[in-house]
Amino acid sequence: MVENQNTVCFRTMHLPPERRYRLEEYRALGGYQQWERILRNRIDPGDVIEELKLSALRGRGGAGFPTGLKWSFMPRQAPGQKYIVCNSDEGEPGTCKDRDILRYNPHQLIEGMAIAGYCIGATAGYNYIRGEFYEPIARFEAALEEAYGAGLIGKNVFDSGVDFDLYTHLGAGAYICGEETALLESIEGKKGQPRYKPPFPAQAGLFGRPTTINNTESLASVPVILEKGGQWFLDQGRPNNGGPKLFSVTGHVAKPGNFEVPLGTPFKDLLELAGGMQDGRALKAVIPGGSSVPVVPGERMMSVDMDYDSITKAGSMLGSGAVIVIAEGTCMVKVLANLAHFYAHESCGQCTPCREGTGWLARVLERIRAGQGQAKDLELLDSVAGRIGGRTICALGDAAAMPVQSFLKHYRHEFEHLIEHGKSMNLA
Amino acid sequence: MLQRARDYLNSLLLLEVLKGLRLTGGYLFKRKFTIQYPEEKAPISPRFRGLHALRRYPNGEERCIACKLCEAVCPALAITIEAEPREDGSRRTTRYDIDLFKCIYCGFCEESCPVDSIVETDIYEYHFENRGDNIMTKDKLLAIGDRYEERIAAARAADAPYR
Amino acid sequence: MSDKITLEIDGRSCKAALGEMIIAVADREGIAIPRFCYHPKLSVAANCRMCLVEAEQGGRPFPKPVPACATPVADGMKVQTRSHKALEAQRGTMEFLLINHPLDCPICDQGGECELQDVSMGYGEDISRFSERKRVVQDEDLGPLIATEMTRCIHCTRCVRFGAEIAGVRELGATGRGEEMRIGTFTAQTVQHELSGNIIDLCPVGALTSKPYRFSARAWELTERDSISPHDSVGANLQLHVRRNQVLRVHPRPNEAVNETWISDRDRFSYQGLNAAERLDQPMVKRNGVWHDIDWTSALKLAADGLRAVEGDTIGCLVSPRATLEEQFLLQKLLRALGSGHIDSRLRQQDFRGDASDPQRPWLGVSIAELEQQKALVLIGSDLRAEQPLLAHRIRKAALAGAQVSVFNYFNVELTHPHQSFTAPPGCLLVELAALAAALELRGSSDAVRELIGLAKPEDAHHALAQQLRAARNDGNGLILLGALAEADPDYTLIKALAEAIAIGSGVRLGYLPSAANSTGAALAGALPHRAPAGEVLETPGLNAREMLTSPRRAYLLWDIDPAADVLDPALAQVALSDAQLVVACSSFRTPALEQHAHLLLPISAFAETSGTFVNAEGRWQGFQGAVAPPGEARPGWKLLRVLGNLLELEGFAYDSARELRTELETLCANSSFDNSARALRPALKVPDIDQQLMRVGQVPIYASDMLTRHAAALQHTPLGESIAVHLHPEQAGELGFAHGERVSIRQGDATATATVVITDSVPKGCARIPAAVPGSETLGAQIGPVALTKARG
Repeated sequence: MVENQNTVCFRTMHLPPERRYRLEEYRALGGYQQWERILRNRIDPGDVIEELKLSALRGRGGAGFPTGLKWSFMPRQAPGQKYIVCNSDEGEPGTCKDRDILRYNPHQLIEGMAIAGYCIGATAGYNYIRGEFYEPIARFEAALEEAYGAGLIGKNVFDSGVDFDLYTHLGAGAYICGEETALLESIEGKKGQPRYKPPFPAQAGLFGRPTTINNTESLASVPVILEKGGQWFLDQGRPNNGGPKLFSVTGHVAKPGNFEVPLGTPFKDLLELAGGMQDGRALKAVIPGGSSVPVVPGERMMSVDMDYDSITKAGSMLGSGAVIVIAEGTCMVKVLANLAHFYAHESCGQCTPCREGTGWLARVLERIRAGQGQAKDLELLDSVAGRIGGRTICALGDAAAMPVQSFLKHYRHEFEHLIEHGKSMNLA
Repeated sequence: MLQRARDYLNSLLLLEVLKGLRLTGGYLFKRKFTIQYPEEKAPISPRFRGLHALRRYPNGEERCIACKLCEAVCPALAITIEAEPREDGSRRTTRYDIDLFKCIYCGFCEESCPVDSIVETDIYEYHFENRGDNIMTKDKLLAIGDRYEERIAAARAADAPYR
Repeated sequence: MSDKITLEIDGRSCKAALGEMIIAVADREGIAIPRFCYHPKLSVAANCRMCLVEAEQGGRPFPKPVPACATPVADGMKVQTRSHKALEAQRGTMEFLLINHPLDCPICDQGGECELQDVSMGYGEDISRFSERKRVVQDEDLGPLIATEMTRCIHCTRCVRFGAEIAGVRELGATGRGEEMRIGTFTAQTVQHELSGNIIDLCPVGALTSKPYRFSARAWELTERDSISPHDSVGANLQLHVRRNQVLRVHPRPNEAVNETWISDRDRFSYQGLNAAERLDQPMVKRNGVWHDIDWTSALKLAADGLRAVEGDTIGCLVSPRATLEEQFLLQKLLRALGSGHIDSRLRQQDFRGDASDPQRPWLGVSIAELEQQKALVLIGSDLRAEQPLLAHRIRKAALAGAQVSVFNYFNVELTHPHQSFTAPPGCLLVELAALAAALELRGSSDAVRELIGLAKPEDAHHALAQQLRAARNDGNGLILLGALAEADPDYTLIKALAEAIAIGSGVRLGYLPSAANSTGAALAGALPHRAPAGEVLETPGLNAREMLTSPRRAYLLWDIDPAADVLDPALAQVALSDAQLVVACSSFRTPALEQHAHLLLPISAFAETSGTFVNAEGRWQGFQGAVAPPGEARPGWKLLRVLGNLLELEGFAYDSARELRTELETLCANSSFDNSARALRPALKVPDIDQQLMRVGQVPIYASDMLTRHAAALQHTPLGESIAVHLHPEQAGELGFAHGERVSIRQGDATATATVVITDSVPKGCARIPAAVPGSETLGAQIGPVALTKARG
């Protein structure tokens, strides 16, 4: 069994469900004390950032960029308004961890955002929440009200002269708005389309002002890091892969769900936590970090540890921590056609390769799935995916291309079989 | 002196004529090449480039879309086209003239046509009686196309494998 | 450029400024990089991904190909535009652009001049690998000027960015996601901004094309001829596309100093008028009320005999301010040789009391390009976007760069940038100006100005504006501009006096926005009653445009004007003409008023049919050649005048070419500089009664400005092609008891007309905006003047 579960973002999980998200419970666990300590002792933001760098907290949204480093890019001293934005537009297929933070530990996120705002010199924050999260939105809004009521955020918090206002902004269901600059456009009331970088948000972000955007889990981890120390957090995981991480295990497992386990936990342990394979089926493949990352064959995965560096070595990425488990007997062509359809539907349409290419991939895959494929289609898919990846403004192009290339690499025989025989080799 | 005498003898005995008659006589019994035009006609290639025609689609819609590629490619500047939107918004010619006095029957117009509209038919027997008859207008060209569509289509089909 | 850096593009060492994009440097060096979304005048979108290149910095190659349009250069950078990696990226993008692009080049108007076609020749494959169904997109109706074929759209968003950044009106936008992304109007409106035709040029494919030109020709059939716009005083540089002696379309010719790369829709589509059925193409004479065609010899003889038969002093000449410099020069020469000094091109001016003290050669006051650098701009009496679309764009640029723009006008002018409006009816506007003068603590040099300043009660806005003007003085970047509407004011002289006082008092410059293509040139040609050629002052001036009508002449010579539309007071003009013994109209169009009042119609060339020169607002001489022959028997104007001069046996008409005329004028004007300072003290004037009498304000709508434009059918069908209506403030309408849409009769003295009421709060109380030069306004009086409105009977 895995040790040290639910130590950071899920530390309220031991409580009865109806009390987990309450302010008093959170305070009883030591909540808001770090925020208070920072403000009362006028702790230098630089020191907080150093602590974060020590903790090796890496962005939990998918890219894995060190959070401390990101905060240090903000021109803290620059005059004018700056913003901290929390990305709770959790749209990556397979991912549902931020949803549970909002549902069961919203105050820790508020505290994390307040501390982040203080560190980067922002007096206002936005939490951009996915529009379909009805319950989490209500929970977060209620928590926000509690926090304002208790004087934990707002004007002149703890008589320190520091202001911090937090606003909720609801998305409207576009996957692309989870991309940080598209998210900013969306908050500004425009069509959600990624911006070309540079300039980076730290120079010109929300409303043209310096902005830092972090994932919900990253921000919610901050209070605990400060409470227990960066070194403690680092020790939870592995060098350069600090802390525990939330994994959303879905697919053909017996007990799908979110699990907070230390980074570096072997995949087989995680699979065990999720109750093992559904109905005792054999493991065929795993998409270890959300639908955008390359697929890894099951036997390879059984020897991989769940941390950024190990999964990279296995030829994939940790991404958002959404572990999609695929059992034997699943048609991989169908899986890929499904994914390709998703990316074609969610491409924002701004740049050419992604706008035209994702639709092309989806159509060809749908054709193959329906038994209308031709031998040259596989070459075509690989080539088209190659012409999308790395050629677009944002990472959606890469996200659409990578699954195609990896599926073709590992499961080419299934595609060939379907093309040749007109039906899937996985049909019973 | 000697030469002059020899020439005199040659002409007196009609030797040159006899030489000629021998050649003619040699062919008298060989296979004939000539045919009795107009009662007989020589066979012609499906690629023959004769009088022009404008074709229609089977539903009666004219093929020409006024792209003006034939006008641009014509080396003799024999084609003049004017176009405007038809009532249904489609691009159509209002004038399509070929000046047969200028035309050199090179066939570039049919080669350039993206919709197989302008074609050169296998018709080579035509004449003009009035000044101005040499201008083939759109109406005339369409009429030729309508009348000979079967022959045009057959020629196209015959040539298709070689294209 | 101080921060010069060096980089290498395709092995060539290039100098560049820090912050420049790779593509800009490559363009300067003549290194071709394919692109679709990039345009030097628009913001960088980097969405087409066609300009991907390989780059390395400090020996470290960038991991992915980078867009040349959005990657700033750096010192020591190495760029490969045609390496294997770069070409593969470019070919990849090309393939994606083509998969959903229809293969309808043969019926596409862009065919032959299409950026996609050109680039696909270099980067496309012969055979498509795409065997799925292509995308088909529903078309948008963008109005009578722009044809759409949205299936061809490659989503470069140039048109969207043009609307947002240049026009200032977001008329087009992108909706939908991914493959479903569509460019269109959000709410099915037409595109109506006066510069919107430029999106036709911007569109790299055939998605947006010219509707009037639709399907009429191919790019390779057209001959390009340079020309100059004959409408506003910018003198936009044009390229006329001609086939078989017909102008088929008009494109801009880039000239940074004048029109940058833009032209207004009026410049672009007015050519349609050239082929209008109403063109006059035959000399005509009216006998017993019936018009007969005659030959030129008889027509010219009739004209010469007629003019000889009347005493020189009884001839009056009204000349279009859009006539070429050469024509205006010859006309004044003819008139003055016949013994008449009565020639005027200021046909829409009402108050000439300032003639004696007016600046000798008025002009814009700054160069057109300098307008962008102004920090404070005050516009007086100008419907800016309608009068000078391209200057409005320059002023917009200044405003976006932080300039304070204030508008003193008779109604609210819709500008697409931040500005402050001081709106008041005629008369009251004087008080508004006086309030600004008072806020500047000016006393005024004449009684009238003093009295007005005494009447004024400056408010915060006036004080703030005064402050802005004073601040702009320091770096010499303040400008007060007098527009075309102010010219029609019955107290124009007072407006000028106040504007001059404010300019001098605050230390900023004063400029004139001349209404027409050659208004500035008219002073140089001597086509003014008080100015000889080269703008020399005439101490004994002839009668001005208004006096020629109020004290009628026996003979009139009209030069390319319609007396029912091109003058301040059509009613007055038509009365004066109908009483005349001889009206010789040299015109390029037949109009009902000309046919009614003229005795002899002489067909002359219109725009694009003659060579000549226009002097634009900034005093720039721009010559042009005829691009097509005039229709039928019509002849270039200068030639007609030359022959008429010879027939009248006048000295100095032996010109063999327009060039000769131009050379003579250039020599004459060699020392004529422009200057906007008043020559003398403004005369003592009575302050008008500033009571609540209802005043008409008749602005000339953008597509009513001249005969050519009025005959351009497509322009007339746009929403900006106005016809007569009475625009009233809601309270005003309430007091008069009118409802929206009600028919009312308009009375200006003896002049009457009927029109529909439009209730709008863009017009102040005390003012009725009734446009001039539009259908229905032919029988009305002065553009600005008292008006009475009553319910129409029946």
